[in-house]
Amino acid sequence: MVTSTPDIPSTTELAPVKQATSKRSYPGALVVVEGIDGSGKSTQLYLLKRWLEISGYRTHFTEWNSSPLVRSATRRGKQRRLLTPTTFSLLHAADFADRCERQIMPLLHGGYLVLADRYIYTAFARDGARGCSPHWLRNLYSFAPAPDITFYFRAPLDVAVNRIVAGRPKLKYYEAGMDLGISLDRSESFRIFQERILNNYDQMVETDHFVLMDGTVRVNKLQKMMRQIVGEKISLQQFAPKKK
Amino acid sequence: MKRSDKKPLASIPANGRPAKKKSANGRATVTPPSRFYGAPLPGVKPEELSGTLVVIEGTDGSGRSTQISLLTEWLESQGFAVQTMGLRRSYLVGEDIDALLAENAVTRMTLALMYSTDFFDQLERRILPALRSGLIVLADRYIFTLIARAAVRGIARDYLHGIYEIALRPDLTFWLNVRPEVAFDREFKKSQTISYWESGRDMSLSNDLFQSFIRYQSMIKREFEYLSKRHGFLELDGESSVSSVNRVLRKRIASHLGIRSTQYKPSHALSHLWR
Repeated sequence: MVTSTPDIPSTTELAPVKQATSKRSYPGALVVVEGIDGSGKSTQLYLLKRWLEISGYRTHFTEWNSSPLVRSATRRGKQRRLLTPTTFSLLHAADFADRCERQIMPLLHGGYLVLADRYIYTAFARDGARGCSPHWLRNLYSFAPAPDITFYFRAPLDVAVNRIVAGRPKLKYYEAGMDLGISLDRSESFRIFQERILNNYDQMVETDHFVLMDGTVRVNKLQKMMRQIVGEKISLQQFAPKKK
Repeated sequence: MKRSDKKPLASIPANGRPAKKKSANGRATVTPPSRFYGAPLPGVKPEELSGTLVVIEGTDGSGRSTQISLLTEWLESQGFAVQTMGLRRSYLVGEDIDALLAENAVTRMTLALMYSTDFFDQLERRILPALRSGLIVLADRYIFTLIARAAVRGIARDYLHGIYEIALRPDLTFWLNVRPEVAFDREFKKSQTISYWESGRDMSLSNDLFQSFIRYQSMIKREFEYLSKRHGFLELDGESSVSSVNRVLRKRIASHLGIRSTQYKPSHALSHLWR
């Protein structure tokens, strides 16, 4: 670790490290879903979004790895298999920073309810499984605003893996964690990689105040629970359409 | 301005040199410093890196590229294989950063992280293999420029140091220090104009290009002064002649590598640089 020199003050310093923990300075709210592939999180967030939209609340949906900014680089890196754990992680962090600075933060300041399909915990779990240091990852994403609620959808490994493998003809190289050289068999590699990610998620349940959701519960029942929790933890009235 | 090239070499802080420590039996032993600032990059064995990493830092117009061309020729003439690196040269995102800069729409955190992706792609796929093969790597800028540029835009220094703590610690880091006014003259002469980013126009410092350039480069220079203390740069007067800066660089590198002769005269191809 580099030794810090606290005696040199800086006037222009914005502290991304503090931002994540300090009291929020915006009227919006952030709801996040996390979990491994096949845990049912995206379905549930979609249903939550529909409910909020139909009720007329000001919401915005955002997902991991979606900005055009790094799309060409990600494609280039994945096609030619050039990505290392570090560059894989940094590229996704750059992508997230773009979304954070240009979408999430302005919307939170503008009083929106922001719904995020995967958030920084995806990077902690997945890049950690690739060998990046947890300490380094925490620092890397310290500029991200802390969620108001983080739903963690947990399904047993077999259930989740079978949902993915059944719906997909071929697992992609990085998706299956083939870059780690765990196994030459793609399904086998995918399974071991997902298991590592699952373990990393489990370790964050307490430290990051995840709301644990059982991914094996029936879809509509789970959604009912999710809506109830959102209603309890967030005062939805503030996102209602403004009356003239 | 200090004439650092006249300073006796012994007074230059040794960056990354072995620290002497007393061992249990009372004899002084040499503990090699870590080749990384923090935990090494995932999958890298520091003991495999037998090459030498020499970094030349300095603002725009400080003469870095000229010195690197000359040093490359000198080292090759001495029989050392050289690999170079610089900003925005990675295969992975080099062109993407060029495109982002051309658009001027990118935000500061995104740009900082794209630059770090560019840096680590080069480090992992070009520089580390070169160092494993025992090459001498000459870096035209390194993490310090990236930290300085992001820090003046308000990103916390500790955050930036946290990102780059997995980077390789250079064996030698030279800082070619020039006043912003001199850098302006040189840059203007080179391209007959001053670029958007070199003058920090994204920071809205001044509508006057000259003022903007001077203020921006002064801010960068202050960051370098701070980084120089923190990381033990070997500071050189970038305003003195190319040949005298080069002489100091050769001496310092020669003593690190154990080369006896520092005699050098540029070839015909590079003689135009020898001012």
